[in-house]
Amino acid sequence: MMNEVYLLFQIAGIGLIVAIIHTLLKQAGKEDLAHWATLVGFIIVLLVVIDNLAELFQQIRSVFLFQIILGGF
Amino acid sequence: MKWIGAMLFLLATTQIGFDIAKRLSDRPQQIRQLKNALQILEAEIVYGQTPIHEVFYQLSKQIPAPLSRFFSELHDRLSVSQTTLYDIWNPTLKEFWKQSAMKKAERDIMDQFGKTLGQHDFTQQQKHIQLALTHLERELANAEEEKYRYGRMAKSLGVLTGLFVILLLI
Repeated sequence: MMNEVYLLFQIAGIGLIVAIIHTLLKQAGKEDLAHWATLVGFIIVLLVVIDNLAELFQQIRSVFLFQIILGGF
Repeated sequence: MKWIGAMLFLLATTQIGFDIAKRLSDRPQQIRQLKNALQILEAEIVYGQTPIHEVFYQLSKQIPAPLSRFFSELHDRLSVSQTTLYDIWNPTLKEFWKQSAMKKAERDIMDQFGKTLGQHDFTQQQKHIQLALTHLERELANAEEEKYRYGRMAKSLGVLTGLFVILLLI
């Protein structure tokens, strides 16, 4: 349980920091760099989320496979 | 243990950010000192008619820390070697520039100026010094603008990058 809550906070924190970096760079007039920073932040979050999503699908698959095997008997 | 490492990392990135900001704010100051040095050089050449290695010696005494090293180095090399002034000027300039906060634009101006130093009579020399001063003035305005724009950004970006990486790794 602790792990999942931590994951939420991590992603929220990354989002917050990336947003601040984006505004800072935009204020300094480096808008292209700001967009790159946002994109990199997004990709990192996406990697984390995909990792966990894969775990979820694996879990679902294992549950249903188990039922099919049981139903076979 | 993990938190100690995170704190150290945050401290390091913050330090890097402040260092970059310091370099940005050092640059206009050093350009101003360089202009000052050129003005003293002009006075010594045109009005005092002092030999060039003595001028360098006096400059190394009058100008504050980072630039004085450049002129004292020039003075030292000029006292022992027999080559032309530019042959000494160019490598000394290159070595010194790595230690200073100034960028390539200022180095090019000084390099151009070094080529003309000692090649002309007083009035021509004075014109070349004025030209170098004008170029430096333009770079100074440039550097001031950069300091104003990126100084604060560099500081906060250092802290934020530290936080970001810590959040990723923990």
